[in-house]
Amino acid sequence: MMWKEKYRVGVDLIDDQHIELFSRLSKFIQVVQNEFNWDEKIEEVKETMVFMQEYVVIHFNDEEEYMEKIEYPKLKQHKQIHKDFKDSINDYVVIFQEEGYTEEKIQELCAKLMTWLIMHVGKMDQQIGEYVKLKEGQA
Amino acid sequence: MKAEYINSFYKATQDVLKTMLDIEVEKGKLDVVEGMINSKDANVSLGVTGDLKGSILFRFTKAMTLEMVKIMAGMEMDEIDVFVSSALGEVANIIGGNALTNLTAYEYVCDIAPPQVIVGDYKSLSFANEKALLVTMNTDIGEFDIIIYLTEN
Repeated sequence: MMWKEKYRVGVDLIDDQHIELFSRLSKFIQVVQNEFNWDEKIEEVKETMVFMQEYVVIHFNDEEEYMEKIEYPKLKQHKQIHKDFKDSINDYVVIFQEEGYTEEKIQELCAKLMTWLIMHVGKMDQQIGEYVKLKEGQA
Repeated sequence: MKAEYINSFYKATQDVLKTMLDIEVEKGKLDVVEGMINSKDANVSLGVTGDLKGSILFRFTKAMTLEMVKIMAGMEMDEIDVFVSSALGEVANIIGGNALTNLTAYEYVCDIAPPQVIVGDYKSLSFANEKALLVTMNTDIGEFDIIIYLTEN
């Protein structure tokens, strides 16, 4: 899962965190999709899950704080999208607690994380950058 | 079926695949078909409710499915496993969501059910003699079909 220059928002803090998210998720996909036995990689899967859960929250908080600072007009909508995404990850956490870390559910989650991140960073977050540029142009 | 429905889905497909996969989508030939047949290797259906009622079916070949997921994941995929089929379902879901936004511009308020992904199952779904529209889409990584069956409530 490759980071692309077109994903750059133009805000260093946000871009650095996005790059980290893409990189971690990419490694996660490689671990989940490699040919090793599921039992051999389960510990790494669990560790990555913990990291992703924590890092997503940190990133969303930082990004929301930045949007507040610049008085981003679509803040409320953007925050709701973050919340819906966190809720959907938490649904998986509950499934893992109840049913264990099954290969099928981890693959499903991995696919959701990947598609969501590409679309969210590639489209939704770009609007933050566009707003910043617009504001700077008016200043 | 009105052009608004078709264009809403066509434009959503074009926008989402451009954002997610960096590929251009061109509208190919149009056909009227009776029923929806899962005639390709990977099929994703979306149920539509609200002002419009019906289904949208995306049909992809195995080669194109694997290529799409390879572009996103940055690694080779050699089979349609849960990861690949889930990713395909999510892409279709995002297209569906964008199409609904486009339909809102024509004042149609609709909702969409979670995608159903059917792999390698050549079942046909008929609509009691109703006709559906089949649009072939061309891209650099292969062609795929969208079958649209929508009626106004």
